[in-house]
Amino acid sequence: MSDPTTPGPGPVPAAAAAADVQGMTVVARTQAQMVRRRFFRHRAAMGGLIALLLIVLLAFSSIGFANVPGWWDKDYWSIATVENGGRPTLSVIPTWLGGSGVHLGEHPFGQDNVGKDYFALTMRGVQQSITIAFIVGIVGTVIGTLVGATAGYFRGRVEAVLMRFTDVMITIPLLVVAAVLGRRYGDSGIVVLGLVIGLVTWTNLARLVRGEFLALREKEFVEAARAAGTSARRIIVKHMLPNIIGVIIVSATLAVAAAILLEAALSFLGFGVRDPDTSLGRLISLYQSAFSTRPWLFWFPGVFIIAIALSVNFIGDGLRDAFDPRQNRVRD
Amino acid sequence: MTTPGMPIGSPLPDPAAGQGGLDQPAVTESAAEVHVATKLEETSGPGQTEVLRVEDLTVSFPTDDGLVRAVRGVSYAVHEREVLGIVGESGSGKSVSSMAVMGLLPKSARIAGKILYRGDDLLKKSPKQQRALRGKKIAMIFQDPMTALNPVYSIGDQLAEAVLSHEIMPRKQALARAEDMLALVGIPQPKKRLDNYPHEFSGGMRQRAMIAMAVINNPDVIIADEPTTALDVTVQAQILETLVQVKDEVNAAIVLITHDLGVVAGMAHRVLVMYAGKPVEIAETDRIFYQPRMPYTAGLLGSIPALESGGSGSRLRPIVGTPPSLINLPKGCPFSPRCPLATDVCHESEPALEPTDELGHVAACHHWDQLADVDDPTVFFRTESEAV
Amino acid sequence: MLVFIVRRVIVSFFILLAATFVMYLLTANAGNPLGDLQESRAPNREALIEARIRLLNLDTPAPLRYFIWLKGAAGCLAPFVFECDLGQSVQGQDVSALLGVAFTQTLQLVIAATVLAMILGITVGIVTALRQYSGLDYTVTFSAFLFFSLPIFWVAVLLKEYGAIRFNDWLGDPTVPIGVAVVLGVVSGLFWMIVISGDRTRRLTTFAAAFVASAGALWLLSETQWFADPGLGVVVIAVTAVGLAFLTTALVAGFTYRNVLYAALASAGVGIVCHFALDSVLDDPSAMIIVLLALVTVAVGVGLGYALGGLQRRQAIQAAVLTGLGTGALLFLDRLLGAWDTYSDRVSGRVIATIGARTPNFQGTFWEEGLDRATHLILPTIAIVLISFATYTRYTRSSMLEVLNQDYVRTARSKGLAERGVVVKHAFRNAMIPITTLMAFDFAGVLSGAVITENVFGWTGLGKLFTDALTRVDPNPVMGFFLIAGAAAVVFNMLADIAYAFLDPRIRLS
Repeated sequence: MSDPTTPGPGPVPAAAAAADVQGMTVVARTQAQMVRRRFFRHRAAMGGLIALLLIVLLAFSSIGFANVPGWWDKDYWSIATVENGGRPTLSVIPTWLGGSGVHLGEHPFGQDNVGKDYFALTMRGVQQSITIAFIVGIVGTVIGTLVGATAGYFRGRVEAVLMRFTDVMITIPLLVVAAVLGRRYGDSGIVVLGLVIGLVTWTNLARLVRGEFLALREKEFVEAARAAGTSARRIIVKHMLPNIIGVIIVSATLAVAAAILLEAALSFLGFGVRDPDTSLGRLISLYQSAFSTRPWLFWFPGVFIIAIALSVNFIGDGLRDAFDPRQNRVRD
Repeated sequence: MTTPGMPIGSPLPDPAAGQGGLDQPAVTESAAEVHVATKLEETSGPGQTEVLRVEDLTVSFPTDDGLVRAVRGVSYAVHEREVLGIVGESGSGKSVSSMAVMGLLPKSARIAGKILYRGDDLLKKSPKQQRALRGKKIAMIFQDPMTALNPVYSIGDQLAEAVLSHEIMPRKQALARAEDMLALVGIPQPKKRLDNYPHEFSGGMRQRAMIAMAVINNPDVIIADEPTTALDVTVQAQILETLVQVKDEVNAAIVLITHDLGVVAGMAHRVLVMYAGKPVEIAETDRIFYQPRMPYTAGLLGSIPALESGGSGSRLRPIVGTPPSLINLPKGCPFSPRCPLATDVCHESEPALEPTDELGHVAACHHWDQLADVDDPTVFFRTESEAV
Repeated sequence: MLVFIVRRVIVSFFILLAATFVMYLLTANAGNPLGDLQESRAPNREALIEARIRLLNLDTPAPLRYFIWLKGAAGCLAPFVFECDLGQSVQGQDVSALLGVAFTQTLQLVIAATVLAMILGITVGIVTALRQYSGLDYTVTFSAFLFFSLPIFWVAVLLKEYGAIRFNDWLGDPTVPIGVAVVLGVVSGLFWMIVISGDRTRRLTTFAAAFVASAGALWLLSETQWFADPGLGVVVIAVTAVGLAFLTTALVAGFTYRNVLYAALASAGVGIVCHFALDSVLDDPSAMIIVLLALVTVAVGVGLGYALGGLQRRQAIQAAVLTGLGTGALLFLDRLLGAWDTYSDRVSGRVIATIGARTPNFQGTFWEEGLDRATHLILPTIAIVLISFATYTRYTRSSMLEVLNQDYVRTARSKGLAERGVVVKHAFRNAMIPITTLMAFDFAGVLSGAVITENVFGWTGLGKLFTDALTRVDPNPVMGFFLIAGAAAVVFNMLADIAYAFLDPRIRLS
């Protein structure tokens, strides 16, 4: 057998397998095209995608990341004198409408207690929140798919062990275990934090994938591949996973949306990102009591959390419709 | 030899194949034909009272791709105790037209024409009046008994509900009626069976229960939409037999919808053949089988495995091509692209239903007389090698 | 069935056992429980550290320490035979005692909110499914997406500001300026226009009617100083009760056969009579009396349904009981609002509370204390409902759409069953099967949901206990919290399975 990771319909010795693989690729390609078409026609999802890209672009280009400098001239750690009570200087109302014109000003989102630029802080928060959410989403999806696929394909003792373990993990409420892990790893940096949280968010996907696999392994094309002597790894990767890729992608997207909120909640409770770094949840937590006096410290990070979570949720909805158009249509 | 979508190699079409996109009408090799034929003859024939008349019924659905004209003018009438067979491929509009009679089409459907129940136009009635007739005077039996019964209620519950939807009476009384009906359709131990759930019934039993549900209110018309398609071949005959029996019991007319000519063979007094949303031939059942006057009907007969001439020796002669899209119907006769007799006139103008060489036999074909000239009308569908 | 349940209980027990082990190791690893002492400059530092090591058995390795904990926890299985010992907090308090107090607080907080979210969410989900692709459907769908993209603590801060602080300020002089009344009228008009779809004329009349009614009512209420001393009054109660009678009848039976309606109306009538007859009893009742009255209401409803139901006795009983309970709830609400004036004076006008479960040291009549609880509950309840309502709406909608497409729904229609029966009896019953699982998960998850809510609203329940303990690296209260949350998860998952078997006869057998 050829390398299972080779993409496309490579020449496979067994005639049956070759026909099977080619047949599947044809189907897969047209299906992918249809999915893409349906997704691009989904207005809310496209809106979400564009909004998310803009937010990511803004966050990473403005204050830069790693050693790459951004176009914004202030950073999120330097202390400065608080000017004008730390009020935001951002203005979006043009002068001809009676406003003060469209400009960013010195501190578009205002300044915090010690004069740090709140725009830079918020952008840093967006960077951290998005990074963690994506790490959690990816780690959780990979583990969930692996566990579910293995259990669903091999059945028997492997399945029993894996699924009982999943049952155990599902019993521990996510926020609780995430808080406990966050308490321990919160100050080890966001990558570690994202990884450990990802390690406990895979349980639902594992159950889902296992269910799909149990149904799939009875299908003729899987039997045919097995009869042709295809290795288990190749059957799983090449024949079965492509059939449930929709379920996995949709679930991954929704996991990212949930992770955004989870990170915010953890940081809010003090078990997430710690000082001196920041995240959107931490910013809200810090300034919730300042709401009546300096509401902008509360509004800006909040609006960004909602915008990100809403965009990702819309993308997830669009993907679900794209992969499973039946779900949202009445048959007439 | 390369006929798209047709089961050439298989001597017997799969009885369950009818659910796919392209279910070519075919005959299942079942005891139904012989067995039920005697049964139908044993029952009393059609009466004089006309119970249901459909006049120039058209149904269309607006979709993103355009207006789907599912039914383009169907007219027929049935009398009490009469069985009218409606035969056609999926997409020929046979089910849609019957759903229109039941008033079960989705709101988006545009319906025109007349549906007269004992002279009253159902389409002019209020939803409430329509509901009062539905299930009471006009009942329906569906294709798949596996999914047509609600899995969470007992059979007795669902039968009694059919009664209680139209009459207020103590539940016990409704259940007693349900028990009688189960007995009527031949379910043993009906009292015990009332408490069973659908999953505890076999497919044939469920369809019997569906028939019991249809006749429980003594309807005048029973519409049976592919009542045997989802069943085992052996069970099909029994179900058809039951259907004919209960028809007499309640004096109802039956509209039997099927893609299977074999089912109507022994079952129906008259047959209406539909193609692309229109009736293309109406005649007594025997005429349809022995003197069809529409090439499409002849084509259907050609795709029947000829049992008489030795079974495996003869070939199926499928109709080449596929039914037209109902969104962009071609000009002229919709069957012309697949028709061996088609001439220029067929591609230009769509033929109307016109009388043929026998009274009561109408067909929509420019060249019906060519069919009248030959002994075996399926001859036109023979492949060249066979014709030699 | 019994075998199924017993097997399920045993499996659940072992799963919970394994989960506590995992959780114990994670908690033990969460931080250094001696951290605060090691950094302290107290002269008896060493002795304090030594004492805490002994208190928490820190000299035993974590996997073994688990079994010490487990031995104490095992006592909780039979609380009257053995002592339930969940260890002690770093301050030396007994964890099981701490949990007991916190548990009741949390239950108060989450139960009402969760049930409310379920009822609202499922109702809205059904309506949107029946009106797929209507303006209502799109509005609800968008709101649902917005709601489950909201961080609950962010909503909570907004609620505190606008729902409590500014609202209380407004209550100082509760008048609605005419401009505000007009704007709110327009909003209400738009709302009803979306809910009641139809052709253009119908929508415009709806808008006009709703606008006039809402703006007019606001103006009237403002002019009569209703907001300073709210109440329902017998007319509103009577009209609502009769409306309720019609609504329940429409839901359970329809109007073709009048007896059900008569039973429901009689039930509403008895309720209104009770408004006067029970006047003295309800001046300052005990909780016991309220429960008793509720039971009597059910009994009266059953009696009325039985007597008046005729051929539809079962439906009549349902309608009469539901109407009776609804009317009773109205009377209760009326009484509660009756205490508004005195309560408002006693809390110096800060009626809606932002912190805690009760006003400290507050004592008064049953109604005053009830109102005190209610005003503390209202904001957290809104926050919880907003967030979890969205999930229910989406889930119910898709489940209903799925079911409405089933063949058996078409069969039900073909029998001539009225649309009400098709939706309530056939579609809803089947749609509920998957929703049960969601409800079980939700109940199992309310405790962890309470973690955030309690922190924002300053309730000293289980969630607060958990976060405080985790911040201090105090393992035993964390484990105590988890034991309850994990047990809830296991129990409710088990209940979901059992409910599933009851709802779906196909599973009952296997």
